[in-house]
Amino acid sequence: MALIEARSLGKSFGTHRAVEDLSFTVHPGSVTGFLGPNGSGKSTTMRLMLGLDRGQGSTTFDGLTFAELDHPMRHVGALLEAKPFHPTRKARNHLRMLAAPNGIADRRVDEVIEMVGLTGVAGGRPGSFSLGMGQRLGIAAALLGDPHTLILDEPSNGLDPQGITWLRNLLKFLASQGRSVFVSSHLLQEMGLLADELVVIGRGRMLANGPVQDFVSHSGLASVSVRSPDLSVLGPALEAIGATVTADGDAVVVRGATAEQIGDAAHAAGARVHQLTTRQATLEEAFLAATGLDEEFRGTRAGGRP
Amino acid sequence: MIDALRYEWVRLRTIRSTYWLIGGALVFQLVFAVLIAVSLDRSTTFGGGDETFDVLATIGGSTGAPLLMAYIVGLLGVFSTGHEYRHGMIRATLTAIPNRTHVFAAKMISTAVISAATAVCCVLIGLACIGVFGLDMPTGSRFVELTGGIVLYTALFSLSGLAFAALVRNQTAAVALLMLVPSLFEFIVQSIVVIIKTNTDDPQSSGGVTVILTYLPYDAGSQMYVQSSINGFLQRTLGAEPFGALGGGTVMGVFVAALLAGAHALFLRRDA
Repeated sequence: MALIEARSLGKSFGTHRAVEDLSFTVHPGSVTGFLGPNGSGKSTTMRLMLGLDRGQGSTTFDGLTFAELDHPMRHVGALLEAKPFHPTRKARNHLRMLAAPNGIADRRVDEVIEMVGLTGVAGGRPGSFSLGMGQRLGIAAALLGDPHTLILDEPSNGLDPQGITWLRNLLKFLASQGRSVFVSSHLLQEMGLLADELVVIGRGRMLANGPVQDFVSHSGLASVSVRSPDLSVLGPALEAIGATVTADGDAVVVRGATAEQIGDAAHAAGARVHQLTTRQATLEEAFLAATGLDEEFRGTRAGGRP
Repeated sequence: MIDALRYEWVRLRTIRSTYWLIGGALVFQLVFAVLIAVSLDRSTTFGGGDETFDVLATIGGSTGAPLLMAYIVGLLGVFSTGHEYRHGMIRATLTAIPNRTHVFAAKMISTAVISAATAVCCVLIGLACIGVFGLDMPTGSRFVELTGGIVLYTALFSLSGLAFAALVRNQTAAVALLMLVPSLFEFIVQSIVVIIKTNTDDPQSSGGVTVILTYLPYDAGSQMYVQSSINGFLQRTLGAEPFGALGGGTVMGVFVAALLAGAHALFLRRDA
């Protein structure tokens, strides 16, 4: 099982610095989500890891670069773009072609076709495939060599809800077998269900790296809703311990203090508390907070305001 | 390297354009060889001898016309690399075979071999027509010489198509280059040289800009299959001596080698 170690990855397109000094580790037995806004350098980073783009830094898989791997598809499976195949080459032949230089038997080709649910169209020409079917073929190619490492760029693109659930279960199962799974996605809710660890980048730079729970809890967006008949006493007491108090109907929303700290402060101030509800931030909120200033492409709302 | 060749072997066998192009070249050769054989069979003025084989094997290319079969087969070279970029296959290819030199070399070898094999089949079709219509069989030496010339020219032509596609990374542009450089571009250069030379005091003097004509790569390469009586007619008229089959083939070979070297260097350096 492979440890992926990316060290000081960097890449420029002309004067634009697309990836800047990225270093991270993907551990075996885990799914590591790769998050970042559009244009933040996720796909470029993945291509750099596999030596497809020329840039700075290095990535090793159990100490070897991708180019040094013998029969690389048996070690690292990759899906880097939608529909990476010739439209008139039959799906099964596409996989046979990739299998041939990696010493992978045709029997395995049929296995992965069945695994991704394309058996019925294995003899079809993928030019007529939907985006979702194309993604399944790409995933089949990544799984072809039964690799210990998977690098998948937006694999859920084009998949229907059933397909997304299937993919989530598949990747979790593969990780549970001790494989390293590194996957990018724009579906934050899905990533919240899938990933154990996160690498979050913005404008090509590292913003966060670590367990999903740490990323969410350290976002500073967790809050506690407090209902109390003594808000006039409790409010100043909470502000005194450094919390931020915001009115929310007949309650207040408190940030910067845990439920325990609020309970202690209320007790000390002699304020009665009728309700104390902790609300964790979502991955989406944490992500938006982390990348808010690092969005490469920003749209405008009606009226022209960003 | 063997792995990359395995990949190329499956790639070529599993795509329709391979069969269309090879089949197209063979059918083209057969149809026109039969038509030419019929007209030669009825001709009272045609000299016969080795010239019969020359005309049939090249479908008139030996008289100075383009070797059209090479233009069809040459598309195999363009598609060899062009498909990689047109359909976004290059990244999948390089994740299957990360060694770029092996990928490039395997494409060169497969393109050269399949083009040469198709050229041999085309020559044999011409020979079969001679047999069927009872025309003059070529001498052994001429058969070997011309077959070698056609095979080498076709293989180099296809390899130049591969190189064009790898250089521009655009299949349509590469097809245009392969079709236009040997015909239109070289014709324009020839025309310019003719205009310059005919406006000098002594149009038939040797040297000067006429030397350029001997280095036009595809025209020089064509000397490998064009009859010696026609070979270099334009150059001689303007005072330049053509290189002949060996020299012309070398000029074309050096040109294609330079194209391939440049394409390979960029392939190693560029992002996939």
